[in-house]
Amino acid sequence: MRTGAAAGHTGYFHEAIRYDSDEHLLAVVVPFLLGGVAAGEPAMVAFGARNAALVRDALPAGCPVTFLPGGDVYARPAAAIRSYRKLLAEHVTAGAGQIRIVGELFPEHFGAVWDTWARYESAINHAYDEFPLWSMCAYDERTTPPAVLADVDRTHPRTARPGDRHEPNPAYTPPEEFLLENRPVVTDPIQHGAPAAELLDPSPAQARDAVRAADDGGTPAGQVKELMLAVSEAVSNAHVHGQPPVRMRVWTGDGRMVVTVEDRGPGPKDPFAGMQPVASATSAGLGLWIAHQTCNHVSLHRGPEGFTIRLTAGPLPAGPPLPAGPPPAGPLPDG
Amino acid sequence: MVIAVAAAKHRCWSFEDQQQFEAAAQEFLAEGLAAGERIWFCRAGGPGGMAAWLEQAARAHPGAVEYVPLDTAYPTGGWLDPAAQVARYTAATDAAVTEGYTGLRVVADDTPLVRTPDQLAAFARYETLVDRYIATAPLRAVCGFDRGRVGDRAIAELACLHPHSDPANVHFALRAGPPGGPAAILSGELDPAADELLPAALAHVRPQPTGGSIVFDAAGLRFVDHRALLHLHRYAEQAQAEVVLRTSLGTVDRIVDLVGITRVRTEPVR
Repeated sequence: MRTGAAAGHTGYFHEAIRYDSDEHLLAVVVPFLLGGVAAGEPAMVAFGARNAALVRDALPAGCPVTFLPGGDVYARPAAAIRSYRKLLAEHVTAGAGQIRIVGELFPEHFGAVWDTWARYESAINHAYDEFPLWSMCAYDERTTPPAVLADVDRTHPRTARPGDRHEPNPAYTPPEEFLLENRPVVTDPIQHGAPAAELLDPSPAQARDAVRAADDGGTPAGQVKELMLAVSEAVSNAHVHGQPPVRMRVWTGDGRMVVTVEDRGPGPKDPFAGMQPVASATSAGLGLWIAHQTCNHVSLHRGPEGFTIRLTAGPLPAGPPLPAGPPPAGPLPDG
Repeated sequence: MVIAVAAAKHRCWSFEDQQQFEAAAQEFLAEGLAAGERIWFCRAGGPGGMAAWLEQAARAHPGAVEYVPLDTAYPTGGWLDPAAQVARYTAATDAAVTEGYTGLRVVADDTPLVRTPDQLAAFARYETLVDRYIATAPLRAVCGFDRGRVGDRAIAELACLHPHSDPANVHFALRAGPPGGPAAILSGELDPAADELLPAALAHVRPQPTGGSIVFDAAGLRFVDHRALLHLHRYAEQAQAEVVLRTSLGTVDRIVDLVGITRVRTEPVR
């Protein structure tokens, strides 16, 4: 049984909040959470420390709203999907008729890695659609770049506003379309230098050897091993599903490693490739999904020349400068 | 063919050129003579291009050099009995030592023994059994296969049962463990190229559970993907047991967790 604005809706009810003040944020979030509590629905907040404190203070004492703890799992979009799907399935099994979650992303996600979070915001329209989920993703208009806000409008079917208003977003683009678009990828600064290695039509074993050889010890060893896993899958996919020739390049520097694998094919036909867990453990696509789980950043680029996957291990390049206002902290959230 | 200097006692050589194979065999067998071993060269249809070298070696080392026709070394009667064949090599090795040699060294062109899928399966099973014997016995052996006649797929299936293969057309090895030790030894790199070979290798080696666990010494495992872990999971399921990988490879636990593999777990390398 769905309640509130999502009453009568089947599947995922996905909204954005575009706020410009604390008051604006609270005017949307507090009634949303209290409505869930009144209906006996699980109500959760996945905010950073500052906004979590803001919401906590605005709620009545003892209000049964769950504040989700942060952790590594929220650092990667595909890992967040996996983690949330597990959480949602648990609540449904426990009998929840609807689950309410409000979350937020931070300015550090709006720079070099935004391409992957935009894919996340789009993919979850599908990935969470089997659950009676009503979620809101909060974006601070004062600190979010216009290009990111444009993607927010295109990936959220609705915008929630104060006064219990829920307006359709005219720019909303279904994920099947959005995810196959040729999204701009921000070049990693270390890609401006010469690659440590460039291989033509490497086998997965040769590709892994190239990563081992290029490792200068600056990237944490565990992350290099996970990168090798991802590179092995990317090269294998390029040979099996792509078009020759396959070109692999690896760069090392600033404590991280970047690998690109290009082929002349159009890229995965499945718009959710890598983001969505595959149906069974033997399905094709499991390798790409694992790559998304293990790499700090995975970019997919479809261009006239073919398809490129870029895999990054180690700390990502800094995003745009943090805003002077509210300091972001704590967990990276649901979108 | 590049001749490896690896110290592996049990090697798989695949060749396209008989002369290159013979040159490598001479080098390998000459090392044996220098080490005081008895040497055998086994091939069907006579020693061929090895005849002159064998005669010369026999003159220099009376009693130590033998050409053994393939059907004498492997009296299959149309079907190779893996355990009986190991017993024959055990007896031949013991005899060499009894007669004062430091051991036995064999180069065999086994091409005619793996013509059909059934022959391949029997020979592959024999390879795993003899490999376990060779690991601790004064026996060294090269199993040679003509690539043009055996085919790359069958050679790969045989090569991954050896601690060393040349050319290295497989990147992993699965071998039986020592008596009283882990059920099997898994080493090298398991990637998409191993996707078909690993199930075949498991069927040949047949690692058995002890107390519900099939323990693999995987200290030499450098890379493993989800395909291989799923094959191990299914093997464990069939055996109604769990697979324990003794490995320091941290990615194993990560994949096991992500994919939800329930019958494979890791233990630290001992």
